Amino acid sequence: MLFNTPQFFVFLGVVLIAFYSSPRSWRRIILLAASYFFYMSWIPKFILLLLALTVIDYTAARWIARTESPRSRKTALIVSLSANLGLLGFFKYYNFFAANIAHLLGRPESSFALSIILPLGISFHTFQSMSYVIDVYRREQKPIVNPVDYALFISFFPQLVAGPIVRAREFFGDLYHWQAPNSTEVLRGLLLVILGLAKKMVMADQFAQVANNYFKDVAGHPGLLTAWSGVVAFGIQIYFDFSGYTDMAIGMALLLGFHFPVNFHRPYLASSITDFWHRWHMSLSRWLRDYLYIPLGGNRHGRLTTYRNLMLTMLLGGLWHGASWNFVVWGGYHGGLLSIERMLGLKRAPEENRWTLFYPVRAILTFVLVMIGWVFFRAINFHDSIYVLHQMFTGHIGAMFLMRWQTDLALFTLLLAVLEEKKAWFERIAIGPAWAYGAVCALLLLSVELLGYTEASLPFVYFQF
Amino acid sequence: MFEAYHVGQGPARPLRRYIGSLAENSIKVVPRILATLIFFVAFEGVIFHTRLYPSILEPESTAGAMEMQLKNEIKRPKPDRNQVLAVGHSRMALLPRVANDMQPATGYRFASVGLGGSTARCWYYELRELDPTARRYAAIVIPTDDFNEPDTYENPNDRELDTRYLISRLKLSDLTEYPWSFDDYRFKWVAFGDILFKGYVYKRDFLEFLSATKARIANVRLYNKYSTQWFYAYEGPDHSVAGLEIDWQHNVAHYPASFTPQQRKVIEDVLFQARPPDAGQLTRYLHHWYGRILDHYRGSGTKLIFLRVPRAPTPPPEQPPKLNSAIRQVAREPDVIVLDEHLFDPLERTDLFADPMHLTAEGMNRFSRILATEVRRVLGPPKS
Repeated sequence: MLFNTPQFFVFLGVVLIAFYSSPRSWRRIILLAASYFFYMSWIPKFILLLLALTVIDYTAARWIARTESPRSRKTALIVSLSANLGLLGFFKYYNFFAANIAHLLGRPESSFALSIILPLGISFHTFQSMSYVIDVYRREQKPIVNPVDYALFISFFPQLVAGPIVRAREFFGDLYHWQAPNSTEVLRGLLLVILGLAKKMVMADQFAQVANNYFKDVAGHPGLLTAWSGVVAFGIQIYFDFSGYTDMAIGMALLLGFHFPVNFHRPYLASSITDFWHRWHMSLSRWLRDYLYIPLGGNRHGRLTTYRNLMLTMLLGGLWHGASWNFVVWGGYHGGLLSIERMLGLKRAPEENRWTLFYPVRAILTFVLVMIGWVFFRAINFHDSIYVLHQMFTGHIGAMFLMRWQTDLALFTLLLAVLEEKKAWFERIAIGPAWAYGAVCALLLLSVELLGYTEASLPFVYFQF
Repeated sequence: MFEAYHVGQGPARPLRRYIGSLAENSIKVVPRILATLIFFVAFEGVIFHTRLYPSILEPESTAGAMEMQLKNEIKRPKPDRNQVLAVGHSRMALLPRVANDMQPATGYRFASVGLGGSTARCWYYELRELDPTARRYAAIVIPTDDFNEPDTYENPNDRELDTRYLISRLKLSDLTEYPWSFDDYRFKWVAFGDILFKGYVYKRDFLEFLSATKARIANVRLYNKYSTQWFYAYEGPDHSVAGLEIDWQHNVAHYPASFTPQQRKVIEDVLFQARPPDAGQLTRYLHHWYGRILDHYRGSGTKLIFLRVPRAPTPPPEQPPKLNSAIRQVAREPDVIVLDEHLFDPLERTDLFADPMHLTAEGMNRFSRILATEVRRVLGPPKS
């Protein structure tokens, strides 16, 4: 059940009605049942996996909190992390490692392959679960007593399959001190759901057609402009796809009285790669910082160690996105750029300097660097990545792969993003006059009707992670 | 009950305060939701439920071609009621130009809104748009492929393409009838949504419009200016399937050497197509839509003239008549004239067929002359 299907909106309507019309004691159960139903609408048997991880991590956290013995605490932590990473590793990376081992042994890549289907959202809920157990271990989070509450934290349907990765204290803060959303939150929630739907169907899915056509046969579409337009189409697709999903998740959570962290902040307006990672998939960046980069030593042990830590964090962050060397290269590419920026002292552009003469130059350069990174992310294999890069810089002029209206639409959204960055108009719509709110929502809905890709319901890109 | 609105373990608020906050929320939320609906309906209504967007439809698209045909026919001067209008699909071979050359003899002015791929359901809605008062025409000519109306594997009720033809002319008031004319609930639902949200149906056209706005506007202007002329000057195909021999008994065709494999395939697909046992599905469908056309013109004085189009390049074997076919049922109605079933049999010749379904230019000429003469005969002299 995808967020961009009529079935999902029926489901959401039923959940909202059931939630608000039922007594207090039932509400968590209703949300949990709805979340499990949502999860099982994909492949029902994987609910067992989700339940198993929930039981393991719930028990591990209780065990860690109950005992004072460092050895027992560590054992419980290791059991929990092993379960999460073990299952994640098996489902997501087994075939990758099996293919590489087969390659090293000179055997066909499929020699040790298994037919494995990746459980929905496993990368997200395992990270969320691990962060909770680690926080309990660090004594930054009290263990959750009610197993229903914990199960809901892991499976809450708005963010179950593709984040944002919510910290336990944020979620339980909302759950235990729940307040019915006020009018601004309701309006903001509705607006975000509509905006997210428009981002997904109008922008992401339309540009996906271009990107998919280009990347399925890059050699068949040579040329500099062709390569750039194919890559930029993918850059537009992945941003609007993921941020659209996140907007819908945040909006739905708001309607239910929960507050999710912001996950995207106009990343293509970033003035550096460091700035980009402060704006792109922020909840993952935060997770990697708190549970990987800082435990590795962060920037506390000298320059070289800092670069190493940055590199390791980004390599693993890349691998988190998918079991392929291309993702590792993508992570390494960003790790390298972050290290270079740190070496050169280029940090985030301070807010007050954001709109200087140099800002557009820096933003364009950052955009180009990010697009180069997407080549590794999207290309079918490393060979294709190199071919595309070659075309982007040394190919003959070629032809634009984007249609005129798509180019116009992309430029229009860029203009909107710049205006939003400067004036935050959209953010103020929810508290603005009724006519402005109505006009914006109606235009977004009209754009879905007229420009939305509806030939088929395309799954969200991050569902596969 | 006082705690009903709390999900967590925090302190409960009194119901009064809850109701108060609900009321306060509603005051802000409801007008904004209403404003959203009003703006959406206004945008959708103004752009797609008026003639605004249909006026820039791609003229060669299904919806655009239908719209252009209707627009041209509405614009065509009709100084009197001695007008004969032909509806139909691509097999309706009337060339109005040829029939009108005989006007001094027949006294009637012929016009056509025949459009390839259109069906009886489309023809009803076309006629409703062209002749809302049912007072403009002396007669409406309606073609049928076969008086026995044998079923095909396609359920004509569930033909989604009809909505594409008719979208610019379907109204909100059609919500009570049009969607329900589909059998499958999925199609009913889709048709219902299509009438409500016409922008969704125009989506592909709209994207093409955005991609080449200037070219579209230029093309629309060109069609607005010349399409009537082009339509009425059409002469028909100049090639034929002469030399083709068909053995209807064994469903085998013998081709002259010049026929390409593609031509042969088309001929076999059309002439020897497998059919399911006749369950009367097409008859029920035609009975319904002929009935709607009949209802529209009932008591108006306009005659409905049904004819059988030339069937194939060589006469297919005669089948025993299906006495309860729709055409034979409506034949009993007042103001309905069913032309002789065999009227156009002389045209079932390979040299007069361009392909297995359509007549050549010469075939269309002869068809038009026969039809004009026959219409004059059945209608009698025109009213002055």
